[in-house]
Amino acid sequence: MRPVYVAGAAVHPFGKHPGIKAADLGYAAVRDLLARTGITPEQVDAGFGGSTYGGSLLAQRVLQRVGVSGQPVYTVENACASGAAAVHLGWQLVATGQADCVVAFGADNLTGFGGGTLPLTTGDIEIEQGMVMPAAYAMRAQRYLHDFGAAPEALSAVSVKNRRNGAANPRAHFQGEVSPADVAGSRPIADPLRLLHCCPNSDGGAAVLLCSAEIAAQLPTPAVRIRASAVRSGRFHTGYRDMTWPEITARTAKAAYAMAGLAPSDVDIVELHDAFAIAELLHAEALGLADRGQAHKAIVAGEFDRDGRVAVSPSGGLLSRGHPVGATGATQICEAYWQLTGQAGDLQVPGAEVALTHVTGGGIFGVDNGACAVHILTTD
Amino acid sequence: MTTVETVGGEWIRRDGDNVTLTITRCHACDARWFPPRDVCSHCASTDVHDEPTGDRGVVYASTVVRAGPAAYRPPYVLSYVDIDGVRVLAHGGTGEAFAPGTPVRLGIGEIGRTDAGPLMSYVITAEDGAR
Repeated sequence: MRPVYVAGAAVHPFGKHPGIKAADLGYAAVRDLLARTGITPEQVDAGFGGSTYGGSLLAQRVLQRVGVSGQPVYTVENACASGAAAVHLGWQLVATGQADCVVAFGADNLTGFGGGTLPLTTGDIEIEQGMVMPAAYAMRAQRYLHDFGAAPEALSAVSVKNRRNGAANPRAHFQGEVSPADVAGSRPIADPLRLLHCCPNSDGGAAVLLCSAEIAAQLPTPAVRIRASAVRSGRFHTGYRDMTWPEITARTAKAAYAMAGLAPSDVDIVELHDAFAIAELLHAEALGLADRGQAHKAIVAGEFDRDGRVAVSPSGGLLSRGHPVGATGATQICEAYWQLTGQAGDLQVPGAEVALTHVTGGGIFGVDNGACAVHILTTD
Repeated sequence: MTTVETVGGEWIRRDGDNVTLTITRCHACDARWFPPRDVCSHCASTDVHDEPTGDRGVVYASTVVRAGPAAYRPPYVLSYVDIDGVRVLAHGGTGEAFAPGTPVRLGIGEIGRTDAGPLMSYVITAEDGAR
């Protein structure tokens, strides 16, 4: 396989945009991406668009508006990992020499659902019993606190850190800091999780340009290399699985580290799937950023701060940036791109050379998650 | 007249006060499955058969759902319960989450209510002396 580069990134700011459809959010990001890179429609060999609720043929509806029409185009649905899966498929085409230049994006609009918990539509036995995503994460949280003697304050420390990071991110849904007291005093959602332990239902779009070294060298924008792109599905069973160990994340990360020839200790910044505060602790351990059962100590000690041992979600993560599900994986790549090219502004982690992005999709019955994607990007 | 919808009712066995669930055991790899199935989802063997669980389990994790679909009338307690090789989700309890490790007993009860009437399913109650 040949090297693949990210040579451009664009995001439609996340937030509540009830008047803007998913396709319009994706279009805004893709239009901005082409303007930044100067790529013409004829140069685009293929397009992939990730979305969960954006409707049929979202990728075509977005790309045809900027002249990418006639090329192979795919709309990808892998729940919250849809955008990252779109990037992965684009990476495959460039890595295998089937394409030189691919647009990959993600977009979703969740305000259309009103408020409350995200509706789950797959109709399995647990959903018929009233399962909602906060409940699934709440039970993981209860068991994690029980097994490792962690205090609920560790959950709040995740929210406080990520809201602090997001306060400096102009693309984030929430751009204000919160205190531990704010988190502890927020409305209970599913014990032990409170409102400020949960990511918001957001609207947004994000797009990246994936290309060969030759194309990257021709563009005015800087490029970073994708050292690893890995996607895995959840292992299905209805037995006694350990819900404090997201093995899908561990398995996908292991494949990505092997592909990149890098170890967790090499990583400078991480954008991970903190859909709920407990998720950051579970995934940090599964990604190898902390020992098993120790992430709750690491977060309290500031090890995941922007100036800590490893910067976890310097963009604010899902807790602050928001979670328009299909867009999340793509925007993580954008944030990593800006960090590695020194364009992260107030979010910049000085000297960042290795970035890892991680997203999981779908807490469907019988698996930790339906999908997981891990990307590792480097400055060279 | 109201209609009673029973979630997972085809897999609930009732014998007086004794409530159990139907699970599938694979003879090729010994995996167990709930809900039942005709092919093992681990090894794809069709050498499977259905059997009943016992009527008691242990809570793996539990939560009080305070924001959820109106049909289930939040707040409601949801728990993952380990029973004879399978982990099932179940309603039960009142007010607060069960502690991990709590021994529980299967029963049948109302887990929600829609315009069509009550929504029934298997539920759990703490065994005497446990909370």
